[in-house]
Amino acid sequence: MKSMLRQGRLFPAAAWVLGLMILWEAVSWFLLEWARVPLAQSKLPYLHEMVRSLGGYGAVLLKEGAATLGNAGLGFLMGTAAGALLAVLMSVSRTVENLAFPYAVASQMIPILGLAPIIYGIVRDEQVSRILISGYITFFPVSLGLLRGLRSVPPSALELMRACAAKPWEVYWKLRLPASLPSLFAGLKVAAPLAVTGAILVELMGARHGIGVLMLRNLYYGPSHAYLFWLTVMTGALLGIAVSWLIGAAERLAVPWQPEFRGRGGERG
Amino acid sequence: MAIVDSVVPEIELDQVGMRYRTDSAEVVALQQVSLSIARGEFVSLLGPSGCGKTTLLRLMADLLDPTGGTVRVAGKTAKEARLSRKYGIVFQNPVLYDWRKVKQNVVLPLEMFGVNKAERDRRAEELLELVGLRGFGDKYPWQLSGGMQQRAAIARALAMEPEILLMDEPFSALDEFSRERLNEELLSIWSKVKNTVVFVTHSIPEAVFLSDRVFVLSPHPGRLSAVVDIPLPRPRAREMRTDPEFYRLISRIRDSFEGV
Repeated sequence: MKSMLRQGRLFPAAAWVLGLMILWEAVSWFLLEWARVPLAQSKLPYLHEMVRSLGGYGAVLLKEGAATLGNAGLGFLMGTAAGALLAVLMSVSRTVENLAFPYAVASQMIPILGLAPIIYGIVRDEQVSRILISGYITFFPVSLGLLRGLRSVPPSALELMRACAAKPWEVYWKLRLPASLPSLFAGLKVAAPLAVTGAILVELMGARHGIGVLMLRNLYYGPSHAYLFWLTVMTGALLGIAVSWLIGAAERLAVPWQPEFRGRGGERG
Repeated sequence: MAIVDSVVPEIELDQVGMRYRTDSAEVVALQQVSLSIARGEFVSLLGPSGCGKTTLLRLMADLLDPTGGTVRVAGKTAKEARLSRKYGIVFQNPVLYDWRKVKQNVVLPLEMFGVNKAERDRRAEELLELVGLRGFGDKYPWQLSGGMQQRAAIARALAMEPEILLMDEPFSALDEFSRERLNEELLSIWSKVKNTVVFVTHSIPEAVFLSDRVFVLSPHPGRLSAVVDIPLPRPRAREMRTDPEFYRLISRIRDSFEGV
């Protein structure tokens, strides 16, 4: 049953990818050979040429990708910790919520593109500023998700705690936190790819390591580096996909009881 | 004859009133309710919706504070009784936590009381056996039927071996067949644990089948309108549902509503 389901999902995915690749190659050929558009390979390069370039370039991409991912990951963890702390404080006290929430919302109005150089100018360290920006982006969706989760507990579940004469920390530990996990993970799933994007953005501002640096450099060299540029962009995208997938896997481990993970007919696989 | 071993009152309500203030008006949910429930008695609070029967139960459970009168539970205030875990409660919904297996749900109150893991496991087996859920401890709540979930909720309410079992329309969401079967099972469980039970329902046959006494409540404002003794012999079995005396008691309670 399960393997059939997996097949049923895998096949359309494979068909999509294959179809897309064929279409890509066809359009690329059309632009280059038929329409004879100037700089056709910069607009949509041949996939097979990109794969060929990957041979010599793969190691560099991997190294710089790891630098980006490491910084984004650190920022993500810090942002998650700060966001979670604020969410718990806000859920405990309305005063804290009234004090902090408007500013948390306002903080999201500041364009990252403007904030990144400011932070970079202050800390003067590309690594630290990447971590800070990633954390800054992560913080809000995580905090919002967790706060909503902590508040989403049904009144009857709380009454049960009251009837059991539970202490306040027990209400949090045994009820509010587990109940909030699905909503927390919804926030994490939004935040993780954004943290990567944030890190890349800071790298564009004149760092020495990371995917963003490669992107800028290849762009600077122009058409001769078209394949490398595209590879860099794709690596950035893949990093985003990879972290989303990681969060999804973590969610399956941490919150296996969620309705969407249950099998059909109330039976688990 | 009610099976009551003494006249020690387990729950005593004196002139209890409950008002809610809404934006436009003041609603009287309960007006001057006085009643006394003896230790070991099985009583029902019966009435149509809006009569305040659930409110009354929640006052006994200290989930609400009365706006007038006093509530005494097990010789203490309702709050003291709650804090010393004198009662177990079963809600209309099972209220099982999705992230806990059935057996972990059942022993949740023991966890709060600081009972160690080995003892909790032992008690979980006992409790599941008592409510007929043996072998289902490792399932998750959503893997059980509605009736089984409610049985797990009863097991949890009995985990602390409470003096009092408070039940708020526990079977109202179930179909008629499951409900009747669970009524019989509840009585068999009760004959083993022998505690005081306060059972809220809007079903007259259910109240008659289960109870020693039925407190009839009427709405607008919620008040106690009659107390009916149910002198049917115990143990009660399925056959009793077709007994003429059973029907006579049902119509007597129905008549008491007519008079309202």
